[in-house]
Amino acid sequence: MRLALATGAFVILIIHGLVFYKQFFHDWERNQYAYFDQARGLAKTEVERASVTGRSPRIEQLIVTSFGETRVDRCETCHIAADDPRFANYAEPLKTHPYSTALGDYQKDGRWERRHKFEDFGCTVCHDGQGRGLEPGYSHGEDPFWPDPLLGYITQPGWRKEYLPALKNKIYLEANCAQCHTEEGFSGTATVERGRKLFFANNCFGCHRIEGLSDGTLAPDLSEAGKKYKIDYLWGKIDDPRASSPTSFMPKFNLPDEDKRALVVFLKSRKGRNFSETEIQRFRLHLTGGAELVQANVKPVDVRPGSERETGEKLVSDRSCTACHKLGDRDGGIAPDLSFEGLMRDNDWIFEHFRNPRSRVPDSVMPSFRYTDAEFHAMSADLDSLQSAPPIGAPAETFHALCERCHGEKGDGRGKIAIYLDPSPRDLTKAAFINSKPVERLLHSVRYGVPGTSMPVWGKVLDEQQARAVLEYVFATFTKEPRHDVKPHNVPESNPVPSSAGSIARGEATFVRRCSGCHGKKADGKGPNSIDLLPRPRNLRNSWFVNAVEDRRLFDSILYGVQGTAMPAWIDYGLTNDNVGDVINFIRSMNRKSKETTYASAN
Amino acid sequence: MSAKKQSVLANVRELPSNLWHSIFRNPLPHNDVERSATSFTNFFLHIHPVKVNKNTLRPIYTMGLGLMSFFLFVILVVSGILLMFYYVPSTEQAYDRMLDLRGSVAFGTFLRNMHRWAAHGMVAVVFFHMCRVFFTGAYKRPREFNWVLGVVLLLITLFLSFTGYLLPWDQLAFWAITVGTAIAGYAPLIGKQIRFLLLGDASVGQEALLRFYVLHVALLPAIATLLIAIHFWRIRKDGGLSRPARAEGKPELSISVQAVELDPKRTYGLQGLVRGPLVKVGNVPENSVYSWPNLLIAELFALVVTLAIILIVSLLFNAPLEEPVNVMHPPNPAKAPWYFLGLQEMVSYSAFWGGVGVPGLFVLLLILTPYLDRSPGGVGLWFSRKRLLANTVFLTFVIVNIAFIVIGTFFRGPNWSFVTPW
Repeated sequence: MRLALATGAFVILIIHGLVFYKQFFHDWERNQYAYFDQARGLAKTEVERASVTGRSPRIEQLIVTSFGETRVDRCETCHIAADDPRFANYAEPLKTHPYSTALGDYQKDGRWERRHKFEDFGCTVCHDGQGRGLEPGYSHGEDPFWPDPLLGYITQPGWRKEYLPALKNKIYLEANCAQCHTEEGFSGTATVERGRKLFFANNCFGCHRIEGLSDGTLAPDLSEAGKKYKIDYLWGKIDDPRASSPTSFMPKFNLPDEDKRALVVFLKSRKGRNFSETEIQRFRLHLTGGAELVQANVKPVDVRPGSERETGEKLVSDRSCTACHKLGDRDGGIAPDLSFEGLMRDNDWIFEHFRNPRSRVPDSVMPSFRYTDAEFHAMSADLDSLQSAPPIGAPAETFHALCERCHGEKGDGRGKIAIYLDPSPRDLTKAAFINSKPVERLLHSVRYGVPGTSMPVWGKVLDEQQARAVLEYVFATFTKEPRHDVKPHNVPESNPVPSSAGSIARGEATFVRRCSGCHGKKADGKGPNSIDLLPRPRNLRNSWFVNAVEDRRLFDSILYGVQGTAMPAWIDYGLTNDNVGDVINFIRSMNRKSKETTYASAN
Repeated sequence: MSAKKQSVLANVRELPSNLWHSIFRNPLPHNDVERSATSFTNFFLHIHPVKVNKNTLRPIYTMGLGLMSFFLFVILVVSGILLMFYYVPSTEQAYDRMLDLRGSVAFGTFLRNMHRWAAHGMVAVVFFHMCRVFFTGAYKRPREFNWVLGVVLLLITLFLSFTGYLLPWDQLAFWAITVGTAIAGYAPLIGKQIRFLLLGDASVGQEALLRFYVLHVALLPAIATLLIAIHFWRIRKDGGLSRPARAEGKPELSISVQAVELDPKRTYGLQGLVRGPLVKVGNVPENSVYSWPNLLIAELFALVVTLAIILIVSLLFNAPLEEPVNVMHPPNPAKAPWYFLGLQEMVSYSAFWGGVGVPGLFVLLLILTPYLDRSPGGVGLWFSRKRLLANTVFLTFVIVNIAFIVIGTFFRGPNWSFVTPW
């Protein structure tokens, strides 16, 4: 017992010793002693020598109040020689902060003067890091919790290994320069400028909002990206958007590293509000939403009558449509092939789709770009002129050339752009579905397209024989199971229940009770169960699609289910023709027929 | 004259020993009378009985858990007061003060570590102390109310730890308290009001920080100190620590004073008025030893062990300090402090039942335990056969609770989905 007590007391004593040792012999004191020694040796005059002799270590700190919240920078406690030009050739931490004309430093009477004096600016305004700390690990921001590690110098544990070399670069500091130097064309922030240009050249602005620059609504707001995210995260998001959030539909742009870096620097400089902004400027920006800035960055083009198509061609190429779309030999790998768009869509469709993609394909991810109508007309004219059909060879080659981009090499609906399409391309290997539909219907979908979706009208590219041949190829290669005769179900040709307020209300009640789990309460196909289902439940507010489908097919799908999908046969659950008629009236009531939503056949 | 001078000199010469004896009335004891007197006359020792049952000193019986909780509380008070010199309960300054504590305040990191780890340790030790008391049946008559006090002290310990969690004002603090107070909001009828009363606002902010600070440094410690005092006092008044009943035929205690009708015409000595079993000097109860030095050494040992563990842990592990609060950027998942993760896990199944219903019932059952289980058997023995049912039920609760905490801590990832920690 007494031995144990003695041991315990001894342990306590030892720990006290250790703690006191750590407290009274700091690493930074050693740096300061080293500095005093060296400075005594370097001293040329008695005054210089006297200024060093007798100095004892102390915490050096700069308190900076001019830039946002008060900063306490104790960096000079270790970097004590930062402002002593005699230490230019020493190693860190006893190294002079370099003088550079690029930073605005100038020589006066043979001595360098700083443009950004440390006592005015401190250190962390430019460099980031944590000014209050005295331990290198913490002050440099190596602690993974610290939001601003030394920009371009320090990487944190947990950052992706393969990015680390790219993230160590002084160039990132420009993001902090841009907090004060906001003027465009400032020579010190060339990378920020380049990033801004890339932000527009790659159409990032179409989806993302940045206060004062753009107002895209499809993707996250990046106004404060620089404050919220570290450069590792920004780089990762640009490099591979799906790596950290699998549901992202942001395209993977294959940019060279310099472009990625420029974009990261630009985004890092977006901190919501910068030091040079005044309240009133900010309020003005708030009022206008910054729309005019987009126009300033994307200059409208004067379209002369008569040269519409040529101007359009130039616009289509300048505005990086091929960052996503395929056009000839250029392919962004994200959106459909436009190489013979003129054969598949008409000029009106293309123009309206330009103005608002979701007015034609309700679940499209294409941004609505804010170009002028004249420009859209020109671009539509150009796309409409692409009418040279590709040579049609054997069915296998045709599938490869025309269908594979969406339906996939294996016909499983997982083509390279499939993840960006909603509704997703049909899985052609699902025999249950393919074999339960008559060939005529499949043929119709191929030749006349599926309205409201990305399935285009192939009628002008493939004649009936060729389309049949492709279908036969699909049956033989992907579906595999032999087709059997499809017996039509006994369903009414047209809805026997006349549409009325009562019928719609009954239909809605049935819908909410029976259908909303998958199709959603808004009938937009996004019910709680929908995320687990493939193919996804149909968006029943897709008027283009719904209005193109006859009552007979709706009756068939609801009463007898859709084979190869999660849609059950509701006749088994007690729904009668009258119930279904009410539901169809309800669905139709949400998709009023109008000129806007009635599909104009390509033929 | 010289005699007087002599006496002044003598007084000066004797000053140290006089000073010493005026403070400590007794010399270091050498015989039983002096041992008794030492315990009896020292303020810090007078809470101890002069003689203590040998069973009380068996390390395996109490494991010193109650004392350890007390010593942890003392460590927390001392380190907490030192931390108060540096802390400002303001959303603007709190986090910077944390950075200063870690960066430039003398012993700042170490103090914070000690306070943080002692707080976590106290929650765990108090819980294990409760388990010990239950498994040895120590809550039975006449110690029912002390058990109730103990349960209340456990809740206060949890609440103390919880209120302290917010003070660093980092992401960990902010979101843990957001989750924790949201759980409180699930209480029926008054849930929203309780939440508002705690936060002083619709969400965690400056008001909440100030309220939590006052609760943490003033109100709760005061209540805890008072209740701890009563808890200790009742140990004495309830006849010392619980111990196994004596075998038949042997006297229970050397003396036991019967309660008699007070005769208004008689004059009673103070001792005569004291009711209940008590230990008296001179009448030696069997199987007991002097508190000095036996009990004191045991207590000192508990202190040394507690302090050594806290010091070692504080030296090796730094208290976490995450990003500054970012109201727009919750971590995924946002987790409550570990001791509430069992609750949060249950909340993920059902907000009301998991957050309020089941824990409320559990606490109620705990408080009522000594009144529901009136059988006298099995006191003073670990896992007594006579208490098989009660112990099994309690053990199940303990294991389920710990299992929920482990699941919540290690097996829950983004969106509270199940993940494996390896």
